[in-house]
Amino acid sequence: MTAVSVAAEWQQLYDRYYRKPELYQLRWNHVDLSRNKVACSPFGGPIAAIRDDSKIVQLRSESALRKLRIFTSAGAQISETVWKNPGGRLIGMSWTEDQTLICITQDGTVYRYNLHAQLIEPNLSMGKECFENSVVECVFWGNGVVCVNEAFQVFCISDFKNPRAVRMAETGIEDFPLCVAVIEPQYTMSGNVEVLLGVGDHVMLVEEDGVQQVGAGVGPLQKMVVSRNGRYLASFTHDGRLLVMSTDFSNIIFEYNCESALPPEQLSWCGMDSVLLYWDDMLLMVGPFGEPVRYLYDEPIILIPECDGVRILSNTSMEFLQRVPDSTVSIFRIGSTQPAALLYDALDHFDRRSAKADENLRLIRSSLPEAVEACIDAAGHEFDISRQRTLLRAASYGQAFCSHFQRDRIQEMSKTLRVLNAVRNQEIGVPLSIQQYKLLTPSVLIGRLINAHQHLVALRISEYLGLNQEVVIMHWACSKITASLAIPDISLLEILLDKLKLCKGISYATVAAHADKTGRRKLAAMLIEHEPRSSKQVPLLLSIGEEDTALTKTIECGDTDLVYLVLFHIWQKRPSLEFFGTIQARPLGRDLFISYARCYKHEFLKDFFLSTGQLQEVAFLLWKESWEVAKNPMASKGSPLHGPRIKLIEKAQSLFSETKEHVFESRAADEHAKLLRMQHELEVSTKQPIFVDSSISDTIRTCIVLGNHRAAVKVKTEFKVSEKRWYWLKVFALATIRDWDALEKFSKEKRPPIDPRERAEAYARIGMAKEAADAASQAKDGELLGRLKLTFAQNAAASSIFDTLRDRLSFQGVS
Amino acid sequence: MAQIPNLDNAPLNFTSLRDQSQKELINILKNIRGRKCLVIDPKLGGSISSIVQTSLLKAILNSSCYFFWFVSPEAKKQEHGVELRHLTADPIQTECTKVVYLVRSQIDLMKFICSHIHNDISKGLQREYFVYFVPRRAVVCEKILEEEKVHHLLNIGEYPLYAIPLDEDVLSFELDLAYKDCLVDGDTTSLWHIAKAIHELEFSFGLIPNVRAKGKASVRVADILNRMQAEEPVNASDVTVQHFCSLSKIFIQNRSQLLRINNGAVELDSSIMGVQQDGKKIKVPLNSSDKLFKETRDLNFEVVVQVRPLAAICIVTAGSTSKSNLHEAGLHGDVNYLQSQTVSELKDFVRKLNSLPEMTRHINLAQHLSTYTSKPAFLGRLDMEHTIVEAQSYDMRELLHSYGFEHMATLNNLEKAGLLKKQESKGNWLTVKRALQLVVDDTDTANPNDISYVFSGYAPLSIRLVQHAIRSGWRPIEDILKLLPGPHSETKRSGFASSPSFDSLPGAPHTADKVGGGRRSLVLVVFIGGVTFAEISALRFLSAQEGMAYDLVVGTTKIVSGHTLTEAFVENLG
Repeated sequence: MTAVSVAAEWQQLYDRYYRKPELYQLRWNHVDLSRNKVACSPFGGPIAAIRDDSKIVQLRSESALRKLRIFTSAGAQISETVWKNPGGRLIGMSWTEDQTLICITQDGTVYRYNLHAQLIEPNLSMGKECFENSVVECVFWGNGVVCVNEAFQVFCISDFKNPRAVRMAETGIEDFPLCVAVIEPQYTMSGNVEVLLGVGDHVMLVEEDGVQQVGAGVGPLQKMVVSRNGRYLASFTHDGRLLVMSTDFSNIIFEYNCESALPPEQLSWCGMDSVLLYWDDMLLMVGPFGEPVRYLYDEPIILIPECDGVRILSNTSMEFLQRVPDSTVSIFRIGSTQPAALLYDALDHFDRRSAKADENLRLIRSSLPEAVEACIDAAGHEFDISRQRTLLRAASYGQAFCSHFQRDRIQEMSKTLRVLNAVRNQEIGVPLSIQQYKLLTPSVLIGRLINAHQHLVALRISEYLGLNQEVVIMHWACSKITASLAIPDISLLEILLDKLKLCKGISYATVAAHADKTGRRKLAAMLIEHEPRSSKQVPLLLSIGEEDTALTKTIECGDTDLVYLVLFHIWQKRPSLEFFGTIQARPLGRDLFISYARCYKHEFLKDFFLSTGQLQEVAFLLWKESWEVAKNPMASKGSPLHGPRIKLIEKAQSLFSETKEHVFESRAADEHAKLLRMQHELEVSTKQPIFVDSSISDTIRTCIVLGNHRAAVKVKTEFKVSEKRWYWLKVFALATIRDWDALEKFSKEKRPPIDPRERAEAYARIGMAKEAADAASQAKDGELLGRLKLTFAQNAAASSIFDTLRDRLSFQGVS
Repeated sequence: MAQIPNLDNAPLNFTSLRDQSQKELINILKNIRGRKCLVIDPKLGGSISSIVQTSLLKAILNSSCYFFWFVSPEAKKQEHGVELRHLTADPIQTECTKVVYLVRSQIDLMKFICSHIHNDISKGLQREYFVYFVPRRAVVCEKILEEEKVHHLLNIGEYPLYAIPLDEDVLSFELDLAYKDCLVDGDTTSLWHIAKAIHELEFSFGLIPNVRAKGKASVRVADILNRMQAEEPVNASDVTVQHFCSLSKIFIQNRSQLLRINNGAVELDSSIMGVQQDGKKIKVPLNSSDKLFKETRDLNFEVVVQVRPLAAICIVTAGSTSKSNLHEAGLHGDVNYLQSQTVSELKDFVRKLNSLPEMTRHINLAQHLSTYTSKPAFLGRLDMEHTIVEAQSYDMRELLHSYGFEHMATLNNLEKAGLLKKQESKGNWLTVKRALQLVVDDTDTANPNDISYVFSGYAPLSIRLVQHAIRSGWRPIEDILKLLPGPHSETKRSGFASSPSFDSLPGAPHTADKVGGGRRSLVLVVFIGGVTFAEISALRFLSAQEGMAYDLVVGTTKIVSGHTLTEAFVENLG
């Protein structure tokens, strides 16, 4: 295609060019825009259409059923559903940023649909005032809506992600406003939405907490629309003028007198440069200067504002009205001698093997880099693939003669164009311009593709752009499960795993949770198997009732916290005996449970031990309890409470004796009970509460100290205390009370089985230096003497005794 | 007095690790507005004292117990003061309406919190409670709080403190009860925590490519660590630590410790330090921040005597607290010898020299030690400990008779832990001893070249194993490993981003292991169940050897002595 024919399609508005390439021939049949309410999502989004119930239905021309249909921008139907929602007439319909279709009926009910025409529960409401006084007008923006009802009250939902209807300040107006517009929260000073109501000859600015009158005398205004950046307001006055003002009404930017005083059906901004007015069959484009451009349409159209132009939807086609980018103008403007135009021409000559190519290049040598840049930029703005190719080839041709040019620019642009061409394809139907694509960002685009179930192209794009594929695969897996009710679990699992394995670190648990939610518990269980993160796997296993698997898994993974989580879950769900059986088979589970129960659930633990035949453990518990009984503040020493205590110990003893392995424990418990009884008796007879809970040795000692030798001997024989220990205890006790006579008598009684060394230490321990020294010297142990001396370091007299004795010892050693 | 260890020369960036922990703690406290009472479980308090800077922590020593009262300078201005209490059964006495509990996630601590709250409720006190679990929330603890009907009154958070640097090359996981929990109760929570701590280290310092483990618990930790890597992969691109050896305690040797060096500081009666504050205890830091201690700590007794005949001897006595493995008898002999001959003279001598303040401190310590060790009661305790642990010929009945039946549970614990069983065969031990050259007769103390030097002729098994593991892996000593209890494992790991060039160089480990800048690469040696100071000394000795390609960093559940080890098992029924 030559340069001339390209520019021939352009229209000139003052010094600017506009073009209106056709994006698609629509694939739908029998959709008449004039008979339908239509909502189109920006950024090449979907189109929702529903028969307009305010218009007369032609009998037999269509089904009596009212259907909500959703199409791609190319007119291919995505989904449909029968509209049978109550709530009266459909007043407003629009898409949110995350492509949820919002439908607001007369009674203020807000119905939300996803792209697949499935109603998203629950329905919202604009409030009871709207229920009582019908909603008359809705104005949407990005993620919010403003409604005006019959009582001239204004309501607002400022974010559908967190839908909460707020009533705006009371307007106090008496007539229905002529027109309504909103300034998005992101462009207002307060950060809250501002509503503009055309009332009388002025405008009311309504906020949540106040109303003010602005722009007195500019109106009456019949129609208003705020520009995309929230700074300008285009309006149509009652006397047929187009007024463009700043949104603070401080100045009028320009004014244009239209031929008709009839307000246009649609008023829209085309980018930031011009305003479009649409009456019945004429579309008028007005700019600040020069004669407006007229387009004629013999069918109804809908204007869809985009950031860089307007898409025009008609019954048969989708066009994109856009200001021709500067780079494109520089190349294709008729008679252009810009370097970029010459470069483009040079390629043409080169292709035709004409020497003029070289001539052209020489002409623009100094500005070649700009020319290359312009070609790349122009290629980006093209919708026509062959023209993109030619422009990029021109760029590449020019680049060959450039010494310093960022070489990856062409590659980068090719990459972007590949993505754009892929989504612009009729089958996908997302006609994004490069500017829209950059504003939307690739990740949001992928999100939208996924939402439209275009998983393959989404996957390829994210792969191509090096983005994380997890989102795509995860969404695919969940959608696949929802859509594959007929496929048996095993084969579906295979299909899923085949794709899930593409992505390392993907959360199998999330997919499994989805499977469970759609009622495929078995599939869920099989999927969880593949989840490597136990912390995600286990709660899910519990929620689908796979407690035993969960327990096995947690025990394998070694995270005791998770084991407890599972244990408590099972404990709550199952009867005790069954629970005991479950944990008995798993040592870690069992041990952890015992640790817990030992602290807080004694009785329950006893049951467990009994049911699993671990009598000795029960016995230990009982024994432990016996001390707790003693510690009870109600139990003073020597009180009858020792009765129950001894009973507990005896019970423990009998349990120990049930098994052969615990003879020692059984005897110990037996002796303990016996000891307690004796101590009790001793306390009663001596009237001194000092016996209970001391050891056997201490008891003997205390007896001797109290001079009750008979009792001491009794304890000794009863517990078969060894002679050695008995001797030691007695010497020690006698030394403590300094009963030397008794001690001497005792030592002469028979040959002491005790080592003099020990005796020396016993003396030393109670501070008797001389006796200790004697005993040590008796033992002939110089080292001991030295050590004992230290003990009496402060005592000079004692020290000297030791020194003398040691000297004597060493002397003996020599001799 | 600097409380927290100086980590400037650490082979791993421990400072950042500690800074992180500090910051998290301060944030927790800052985020709770207003005056608050901080209640710390005492064990944790010890751990925290070695991570929080002195400038932020003002220690006031109290007569009954030591507790801190710390107020950060800026917080003081804003009246965000913190009162500090230790968690005990006694109800909290405070004017503050906000009570912050900082506790390890241990079941038995919950009942204290519950009783405090119940007590407040019964008195009609309205307070706001915050519970921060260290290192993470635990289902079982919360379950108890729920059952006690206090859970809804609490704001629950976590303080992820997994590892604490105690010294430039020592990292403690502060799991005092690891050994007892695993062996007696079968509760392996600590193993998960160890793996988690190592995995967290990997996030900071890169994936550890070689993992070798010996012993049941170690192999389990290595296994959990691999699972964690599968769940939350660490990139292999930045490898600082080359090897990771994990050893569970294989044999329990009788270790005694004269003073309990806890968290790198000794607690002493102030009278010992010659300070006129009666009854108060002072924390004396004993770690690498103390230059003298650092120098003498790891030297063998005899060498020190040679090098600095006079001044050093006193230090050795202090230093020997860290050298718990000096043979018992030998140690006493030495101490006695020193005491009777030199300590008092030395003290005067050093005073005259007007030496470093540290010196006086050590002399004080030395003196204290010798008086302490010569007390017969101490020797008695030693005998008792010895007997309990070895239990070779001791009649358990006698034990109960002498000490009371309440020790039944302790005996039961020891039995469960396998500490009371007689060794079934001694054959293995002899083979192992010979094969690994555990006893070296001719140690050249003046010019040492083997770790046995540290122990005057005995090379500890654990360190020998580490030596082999680093040098050549388990394979060459496989036969011997089989003779030792517990399994062993060896894994090579690589992350997603492992460079192929690294994998293709298995034959040249020395070149590959050399990290750029001439810095040696690192080996992390983890002792599960605890490590003694002597073992650390031996590792340091190993690391200092010529031809050694690695720096060694020690990770442990706790630094132990015979006392702390057996203490865990003591459970009175009464």
